[in-house]
Amino acid sequence: QNKVKGTVLDEKGAGMPGVTIAVISNADHKQFNTMSDGEGIFMLDPIEDNGVYDFIFTAVGYENDTVSRFKINQGDNNSLLVRMKVARKSLNDVIVVGYGTQSKARVTGAISQIRSADLNKYAGSSFGSQLAGKVAGVTINEASGMPGTDPQIVIRGVSTLTAGANPLIVVDGFPLSEGSSLNSINPQDIETMDILKDPSSAAIYGSRAANGVILITTRSAQKDKTTVSFDAYSGFQQRADKVKLVDGYQYALYSTEARDWGYVSKDPAKRKPDDDVATRKANGATARDYRLSYMDPYLANQPGLTNTNWLDAITRTAPINSYTLSVSGSAGAKSNYYLSANYFNQQGIVLNTGLKRYSMDIKVGSRPFSWLKTGLSLVPSYNQQRYFNNNADRSTDPISSALVMYPMFSPYNADGSLAISQQIKANTPEDGALMENPVAILKMNTYNRNFFRNFGNTFLEFHIADGLSFKTLLGGDFQSNYINYYSPSTVGAYRTAAPKPAVASETNGYVWNYISENTLTYDKRFGDHDINVLAGYSFQKENGNSTLVNGTNIPDDNLGNIAGASNFSVIKTAYTWAQISYFSRFQYAYKDKYLLTAAIRRDGSSRFGAQSKYGNFPSVTAGWILSNEAFLQKQSWLDLLKLRASWGKAGNNQIGSYGALALVNPDNYVYGGNLAPGYAAAAAPNANLGWESKQAINAGFDLGLFHVLTLSANFYRTITSDLLLNVPVPAQSGYISSLQNLGKVKNTGFEFELAGNNISLGKVKWSFNANLTTNRNTVLALAPGQTQILTGSNSVFLTKVGGPIAEMYGYDVTGIYKSQDQINSTPHMDGTVVGDYIMRDIDGDGKITTADRKGFGSYAPKLVYGFQNTFSYGNFELSIGLNGIVGRKIYDAALWSMESGESFGLANEYYYKNRWDPKDNPDGTLARPTTNLSANRLNARASNQFVYSGDYLRIRNIQLAYRFNLRSKFITGLRVYATANNPFTFTSYRGFNPDATTTDNVLTSGYAYSNYPVAKSYILGVNLTF
Amino acid sequence: CTKQLTQIPDTSKVLSNFFTTESESEEYVNATYAALQSQGLYGQYQPCISEIPSDNTWDQVPANDNGWAGQLDLFSTIPSNGILSRNWQDAYVAIQRANVVLHRIDAITYQNDSIKTARVGAMEFIRALMYFNLVRTYGDVPLVTKETTDPNAYFGQGRTAAEEVYTQVIKDLQDAMVRLPLKADKAGGIRRSAAQALLGKVYLTRGRYQDAVAVLQDVVTSGQHSLMATTDKVFALNNENNAEIIFVVQYASGVNGATEGSALQQQFSPSGFESGAKGHNLPNLSLYRLYSSADTRKGIYVDTTKQGVPYCKKYVANPANLSDGGSDYVVLRYADVLLMLAEAHNELGNSAGALDNLNQVRKRAGLSNFENTSKQALDAEIALERQLELIGEGHRWFDLLRKGNAVQVMNDWFTAQSVNIRIDKHHLLMPVPQDQVNTDPAILQNEGY
Repeated sequence: QNKVKGTVLDEKGAGMPGVTIAVISNADHKQFNTMSDGEGIFMLDPIEDNGVYDFIFTAVGYENDTVSRFKINQGDNNSLLVRMKVARKSLNDVIVVGYGTQSKARVTGAISQIRSADLNKYAGSSFGSQLAGKVAGVTINEASGMPGTDPQIVIRGVSTLTAGANPLIVVDGFPLSEGSSLNSINPQDIETMDILKDPSSAAIYGSRAANGVILITTRSAQKDKTTVSFDAYSGFQQRADKVKLVDGYQYALYSTEARDWGYVSKDPAKRKPDDDVATRKANGATARDYRLSYMDPYLANQPGLTNTNWLDAITRTAPINSYTLSVSGSAGAKSNYYLSANYFNQQGIVLNTGLKRYSMDIKVGSRPFSWLKTGLSLVPSYNQQRYFNNNADRSTDPISSALVMYPMFSPYNADGSLAISQQIKANTPEDGALMENPVAILKMNTYNRNFFRNFGNTFLEFHIADGLSFKTLLGGDFQSNYINYYSPSTVGAYRTAAPKPAVASETNGYVWNYISENTLTYDKRFGDHDINVLAGYSFQKENGNSTLVNGTNIPDDNLGNIAGASNFSVIKTAYTWAQISYFSRFQYAYKDKYLLTAAIRRDGSSRFGAQSKYGNFPSVTAGWILSNEAFLQKQSWLDLLKLRASWGKAGNNQIGSYGALALVNPDNYVYGGNLAPGYAAAAAPNANLGWESKQAINAGFDLGLFHVLTLSANFYRTITSDLLLNVPVPAQSGYISSLQNLGKVKNTGFEFELAGNNISLGKVKWSFNANLTTNRNTVLALAPGQTQILTGSNSVFLTKVGGPIAEMYGYDVTGIYKSQDQINSTPHMDGTVVGDYIMRDIDGDGKITTADRKGFGSYAPKLVYGFQNTFSYGNFELSIGLNGIVGRKIYDAALWSMESGESFGLANEYYYKNRWDPKDNPDGTLARPTTNLSANRLNARASNQFVYSGDYLRIRNIQLAYRFNLRSKFITGLRVYATANNPFTFTSYRGFNPDATTTDNVLTSGYAYSNYPVAKSYILGVNLTF
Repeated sequence: CTKQLTQIPDTSKVLSNFFTTESESEEYVNATYAALQSQGLYGQYQPCISEIPSDNTWDQVPANDNGWAGQLDLFSTIPSNGILSRNWQDAYVAIQRANVVLHRIDAITYQNDSIKTARVGAMEFIRALMYFNLVRTYGDVPLVTKETTDPNAYFGQGRTAAEEVYTQVIKDLQDAMVRLPLKADKAGGIRRSAAQALLGKVYLTRGRYQDAVAVLQDVVTSGQHSLMATTDKVFALNNENNAEIIFVVQYASGVNGATEGSALQQQFSPSGFESGAKGHNLPNLSLYRLYSSADTRKGIYVDTTKQGVPYCKKYVANPANLSDGGSDYVVLRYADVLLMLAEAHNELGNSAGALDNLNQVRKRAGLSNFENTSKQALDAEIALERQLELIGEGHRWFDLLRKGNAVQVMNDWFTAQSVNIRIDKHHLLMPVPQDQVNTDPAILQNEGY
């Protein structure tokens, strides 16, 4: 029986606890793991005589160390001593730069890399939400928490107005079409993500790079080692929003005040709040001027009445589960593989919503000859999504309708069946909200989406000569989409009691995308000169096809899909785009001190007008590694000092496939009941429509200190010219808007990233990454003659020269009028009544007019920050991540409904507490409840009263993990963890989701409605390796 | 590969290779008719604009749907009112489609030249109808009579004087009258009498009574039109495009996936009366009470719900799909022509002519002849008969504007109804939609808004 005693020391010679030691037998390749103890000692006992073993030492933040072919001698005192080196992570990492890699030390653009371990501390269906707070310059807006919905990824501020703002995502070399779902990729299959933030880094992707590029590298086999790993986690999610609605008793009072004042305010001389229905009728009152007939018991505070919290009724504590099994290894000496399969199931916190995903990642690499390398990567996935249209439509969006459901009604009847159309019936006489039970809407309506996708690529890489290689790649992406919608006759809709006509629709579609790409690379060192030259050509084409069938005249609900309909209409859409690209890059390093990269890409796209199919996108970057200069080389505290500067130009082509063409759309007529097909132009043509181009400069430095700290700083300024603007045009043209290349937008900002690696705090090791980004966005020009674009609900979004994109704009409310005298003595709008808003007479002309509006800020945050921490102690690891936003404004239509005082819907507790009513709440500070909104109140819909601060600080994730020391020959690694996602959010925002925004239109950024809230979740997980 | 950079959509037609044949020209003509069906025009908002402000109809639920229809009723209309915004936009969409046809049809060979001429007339009629509505609603409006090639060219154009717009309207209708055939080649297509009746209305509005009589009398003598014998035949679904009808915007139920129906019944029925009913444009109780018990229009044109709320029965919903009603929207009909003739004759001092035309309509409604020949009495009676006969057809507000007594009539009515609203001259024009002012500051706002 022979023992092996080992000692693991750190650079200072102190014993290192928590180092994982993999012991692999050279005879049968079996492996088992152990771990060093508190003093850095490990013992192996018993171990086979005369065996030969490899020892691999791994510890977070340190370079792996290997002791190979260690022979166990019988009777000897077999001892091992290993001195671990701190990983100079920032220096040795390889960065993916597009069509190649580069050592991090030589990178001269603004590129951030993030690794899978950092991503997966947040459990989510896609990498998008995992990125929040992790990278300087990258803002993640989770506008909807609905499972399967992609967050919006904004890199260095929005720089476009009406073209798409999505970054380009390239997976293992295959560029996905912009805006396509991120949910097809299991985040656990991601090895690294490299984010090209500045156009000079991104310019190699030319016309698609203006919004930044995210390069994803999926996992591949670890060499010569067969590993089976199983990851599973399971948890539950809860509402994390701060919306608190009034209860039934409060609503009764609020509604009565509003109806009384709505009635009286029309003619205060004659009408009194105590008038009964007959008197009100005789005075010409409309139905909404009566009190709701069923409020009396609530007003009398009778206990035990129905008092439903509808937000609670439509939400739940929902489970989330994920299981991933992966196998990687080698097949013979020349090939290796990585295979993984994942089942992910996330139910939504709103009833009957959720995502199930079955996905795989298949990666095979082979080097059959020394001169040939080949590989295959395939990512198939199948998603099943249950959802609803979260679009504030009161007939189909239950979150929005829950805000107008009165607590006097129950979701269920006494017998447990769903209560149908009760509020509609009860509210008809006094014209209250005619809202269908949202629980019934969720449970009875069907909204299913099945989505299959398979993308990947295969390549051959020939090593032609020393340093010279040629790679040809063929990639493809196939997506098929099926949506089934059915609303049975037995559930009503807004203002429509059941039975109503059933509604059915079905969508079937597919997208087929392929790329052929050929690149030639020459990489060679001549003495002090390092040269890398790339030349390439690529062709990519996408074809999409979709058929929507609407079915009507459905005689019964027997089938529950369009097959049950007897009348159909079909909408068929199809598109094709193609892109041809030529690109070249030259990288040069002299003595590892002076760095230069120049690149150019020429893209041609079918999306643009005949006159402007092609665009050129050049870039140049330079760097100087001062720390390699003789005068600094001796400084042991200085690991790296690099200065960088770059200039580049990138384009944006996200304008839809036929933006340049004047399409002729159907608009049919009937003559004597017979359908007559009609077609008319839907847009004016624009043959000159071309690229939106973005030019940017970036300057920064990278600093590495004391082997543990790195600091990166960047300053950037980008100017987007020839903006693709869908500008409103004078309506007498016959068109509402027109797509044009006009205008300019500037973004400037600073980015800082400070990271610490394995800092000793006593026995605890601390690693952290803190990042902070500022961005300022200014519109420099719009269309000729155009000085401003006012868009959105109540024209509240102003985009004008000199201001930011989509600044929220309106009247400046400074208080409320509490007496008629006060109204008479100040400038006011016609029709202003007591309890209305006091608006500031900004231009001082003694009247309140449209000239008295001002800006209140925009959705784009002024500052975004994140702070990730990992503490390790022995086998324990604690991670805490937070992210935050400063300087964001949100225009929130859901809060507007809760705080306008109209009483049609429920108020929130904030409004209820602060509303002014001379009798019930004389100290209130918010406008008086009324069903009869005056012009003052209607105009105030565009005012600071409904522009909210969206600032928040969120504890994004807390994770505690424990790694077991195992002696098993079967299980080589076992790690268990508990995670809390979004456990705390610090914000003054009272709406559903402080990231809420419409995502489809930059010009109304920050327009929120009842956006699906982001959940907080609590999770337990395990990683097992065999 | 380079040819791949030219992609033509498979499922959309493209203007550059469209409008090259007779059938494509016909499609554009159909789409120009279809523009009239839009929500901003006769699909919903045009009837709101031209009747809700008047003493004929009211909005039962003024706060609903952003309060837009309610504002029209309560004279609290603000420039960002969405009804006006859509109305303005959709009117110009229809005008532009007509302009495209008028610009391009010359180059198209039609098998039958008379059809081509008729299409030109029809487009002129639609353009005139749109400008006539616009100018009555907003006053000065930008005048565009050519195909748009560059929408930016309109920045800075501003509003054209109403006089000039009227000149164009009259010219278009005079041209159309010559080009349009006596009978249309398609059911409900635009024909000569439509241009004549509309021109008669324009002349009446402009105070050109002699011209009005002449052109309206042409409708009478054309032999194409007559009153239905009984009121229940006028709007009956199974009797559309009857001899009384001069021009309608047509709708049909259950056609093409329920895309050709009208939501008017649903929009304009009392709240709770049927599913989705909005109560936006209901006959006033005061008006309902003016129908005498002998009047056969009572119960046919208007009726009351069980709760006693009057509603208009001229638009019929489809019980299987309430927003897919088949009723056409009547823009011009023979009874209107007779009452306009009566009005013109009375203005010219021809009480006999006035009485003759007025009494045809009264007789059909089962009422005795009106015999008072005083100009003032006749004037009042003709106006009342227009209210009773044309209720729900979007005439009354424009009638008050034409007669120049809107402020007086409305304020008297508000007093009588104990409604705490008083209007003044600025209320006679609607505000120019705020989005137009926002887009181009050269579009100036009307006084008082």
